[in-house]
Amino acid sequence: MTTTTPPTPSALTTLITSITTPTPPETQQKSSQSQQHPALTHQVLHNLQHQHLWTSLQIHQLQAPSSTSSNDTTADPNPITLISGIPPHRLYTHPDEQLYLLERGLREEDLELERMFVLPTVQGQTWSLRRLAGVFDGFPLQEEFFLNKHSGSKTDKLREYYRYREKARATREWGGKRLLLAMVDRQMGGDSTVVYYVVQDGAVKPRQN
Amino acid sequence: MADTDEAAIHMPSQDGSAHIEVDLSDETQDFRMLSNISFLSDGSQASIPKRGEKDFEPNPTLYQADVLSASRQAMHNALSYPRIHHPKNQIVGVYAPIGPVAPPPTTSNLESITEETQPTESPSKAIGNVHPDACVYVANPKSNLFKTMGQADRWNRIWLLPEEALFMLERGSLNIHWPRSEVGYDEDEHSVEDSEIPMSLQAAYAAFASRGGLNSERFSVYTGLRRLGYTVTRAPGWDDEAEEASSNEPQASENIRQQGAGLAGIYSRFMKWLCPPSSNTALGPVAGVGFHRSYDDIYSKLSIIPWYDPTANLNPGSPAQAPYRVVFHVYKPSTPFKKSAPPAPDFRIAVVNARAHTSFPTLSQLGALLESTPLDPPSSEKMSRQLYMRLRHGYRNVILAVVDEGVVSYLRISEAAFGKEKLYKQKAVANKTQYRPKPKGR
Amino acid sequence: MESDPILLPIPISYIAGSYFLFSIDAVTYLRREHHICGVLSGTLPQIPQQNVFLGLPLKLMPEEARLLVEKGVACIVDEVNAQRAGMRALAADDRRKYLRELEAQGAHAMRLQTSRKELQREEALRKVQAKKAAAAAKKAGADAAPDAAGATAGSDEPAATENPSRRASTTTTNSEIHAPYGTTMGITPATSHPPLPYSPATSTTLPPPAVPPSYPLFAHLHADGYYLSPGLRFGCQYLAYPGDPLRFHSHFLVVAADWDEELDLMALVAGGRLGTGVKKGFLIGGAEHTRADDAGIMGEPESVRTFSVEWAGM
Repeated sequence: MTTTTPPTPSALTTLITSITTPTPPETQQKSSQSQQHPALTHQVLHNLQHQHLWTSLQIHQLQAPSSTSSNDTTADPNPITLISGIPPHRLYTHPDEQLYLLERGLREEDLELERMFVLPTVQGQTWSLRRLAGVFDGFPLQEEFFLNKHSGSKTDKLREYYRYREKARATREWGGKRLLLAMVDRQMGGDSTVVYYVVQDGAVKPRQN
Repeated sequence: MADTDEAAIHMPSQDGSAHIEVDLSDETQDFRMLSNISFLSDGSQASIPKRGEKDFEPNPTLYQADVLSASRQAMHNALSYPRIHHPKNQIVGVYAPIGPVAPPPTTSNLESITEETQPTESPSKAIGNVHPDACVYVANPKSNLFKTMGQADRWNRIWLLPEEALFMLERGSLNIHWPRSEVGYDEDEHSVEDSEIPMSLQAAYAAFASRGGLNSERFSVYTGLRRLGYTVTRAPGWDDEAEEASSNEPQASENIRQQGAGLAGIYSRFMKWLCPPSSNTALGPVAGVGFHRSYDDIYSKLSIIPWYDPTANLNPGSPAQAPYRVVFHVYKPSTPFKKSAPPAPDFRIAVVNARAHTSFPTLSQLGALLESTPLDPPSSEKMSRQLYMRLRHGYRNVILAVVDEGVVSYLRISEAAFGKEKLYKQKAVANKTQYRPKPKGR
Repeated sequence: MESDPILLPIPISYIAGSYFLFSIDAVTYLRREHHICGVLSGTLPQIPQQNVFLGLPLKLMPEEARLLVEKGVACIVDEVNAQRAGMRALAADDRRKYLRELEAQGAHAMRLQTSRKELQREEALRKVQAKKAAAAAKKAGADAAPDAAGATAGSDEPAATENPSRRASTTTTNSEIHAPYGTTMGITPATSHPPLPYSPATSTTLPPPAVPPSYPLFAHLHADGYYLSPGLRFGCQYLAYPGDPLRFHSHFLVVAADWDEELDLMALVAGGRLGTGVKKGFLIGGAEHTRADDAGIMGEPESVRTFSVEWAGM
């Protein structure tokens, strides 16, 4: 049952260890900013890419100004890393947006897939509202996509939808900024499961399905 | 819709046979449904009102506005329902602000009043076996409710505790009058003569809800259970200080001694397992070398980790501290209840204000609370067959009523004894038929 | 009743550490005009043996009471002292007048009940006749058993006030009652006004209620039009409803945090999961502090930021 020789590292472990630079804590300051939680970031990225089949994945460093203030003494020394990518299917549709689509006979598959931002976290990390607000203030609203897919008879309706969506985003009618919170289970012999939650800025009514 | 889930949290069902059912009291109900409760249907549970359909969110339709306004009107009407008492069977109580007192001698015998008020200095003795917190007396106690409430004095008047009086008034079963001394008559405060002026619900709350250890959390629990037909009485832990303060000191010193003995006991048992006369775990297998003729033998040798036996009572810890003290004894409607000799309660309840105590109780708080309850081993025939029921039932149990601004949640805490269940002694066949609790939110 | 003018500020009774309303008009008004629902905590005298529909008094969260005081809609009364002092100060005239009023109401209630009993008896008789005529000697199950708990028979008498038709349909015979014995019903009024004055003496008014640190979030959501209720049943601080909880399901399980309070991400995930399980969002929020040394000062509802969490389903 038990073997004395350690198993050969998995592809993921190899990837992560190849990225991780085991810097001692005291040197892990500003100098190695870009490598804050690199293992975590890559673990989530790997999960998105291979388990959830996301594409066009990118890593972003947020120069998180802790919330809106400038003269902040408790400014976060840790910059925040975000991942962005395009999921294979639409992950989130606001209930009102859903209704809008339904009324026009559009389906989610008709829409252009959107880039989503993902915040990699690990169980046990402590956060605060200030930090969370800083993240939300630090990344852009979803970029606009325009029709480049042949959509046949629905083109007009889609055009109308995209126009309306631009307005809805400005007014936050269909919710404001949103991102995906990825949390890795690594504590207490955690099994490296990654769970994903949609976090939105403001009170956004829940989906009903 | 979400409502079935909204109701997923409910009163624990008490004899281990928990099953989730819709508890309508979990959320605000549409008062239009109230009119479905037929008064014809005798008994209380014959027709439970249907859950009203609710919408996801407001929309500007006239229909929705109409329905909402009808619901509010229904609520207004239901809550306007008056508390009136037919003169033929009206039960009248009189508020006694200073507690139980003897009746005025005779109305004509004015000169003896000063003498008669003297004995009220030690009222409970003088007037019979009446709780000192009682504050309303009823001279014509004609109601089934008095089978489980109140205490009679020597003059056959029934004295009610504040929670009993308030509950009866609130449900429209009792008309409480102010005493003359409280409504402007120029009279001695020991005189509790009926002024004929009824106390309003508001006045009754002001007079009773914070009296004699009562508070609004305890009252919410009391009335909630009473409404469901349970008999609820005060438990000895009701008073925060009294009983504990007196028994604290001797108990504490005793504890230390017993604790020492208990620890030593565990230690010696532990050592016995660690160093059995014949074998040594440092050198050989834990089960020891030698012949093992049964698995039981091996398993029992392998169980080297000491476990807590709730029946052993080695460690009587610190006394239960408020709010983790049993304040109510509760009896099922089916339990025969005699006021003069109450049986052992079916449930023991501690009341916790969720606003004041925001974290789960500590192990020592819970331990002390459980210690304060009697041993209640899983002894029924059914439980003797079913392992999981035994574990669920535990050896001691108590119910926490957690109150958040009038909203009560009940949690049953029991002391399970996993160590007492020797799985290796179970027949493999028995396992198949065992009761498996469904996963559920608790 | 919709048009009954309400005298402001509405007195809120502070008793035993809680805030209560005893006047149905105040309850209806605050619900309709200010989205304040409270929690009904009393027993309904017409159906006292259930917990599904509860009655007066209405218990307000300290947050609700505070909000109403800040809006100038209500004031807090030290009810225990107000009652004691007020009742003791009653003059003989007050007592007589009050008793006369009650007597008149009681007589009215009695007349209503007697006439309704007559009607119902006639109707019941008609039905019995019809059934008998119909055929099978089935028992007419109409003879109602008396209330199991022995509520006073008079308690099924409907309001002497508005909406008699609706009432008539909700109340039915309790045929045990015979002809009136006395001439007036005893009455337990809901409120103490009269005989006490509506507005409390200044000596018995209390300062605005102390509120938990979650108050800015409470006020923020309330200002956004949400109806809020205590959230313990769902393991949160408040439930936020998009409309009157009488008619709508709640949208959010709400938890408040201070701006720099350490949040265990696990709490976020657990909340998100719990919320999604009951088709609600999990909402966390608090008042923004621009400077760190603001900690400890309660933030303004206007500066509250909120975040909604739902399971992503992946």
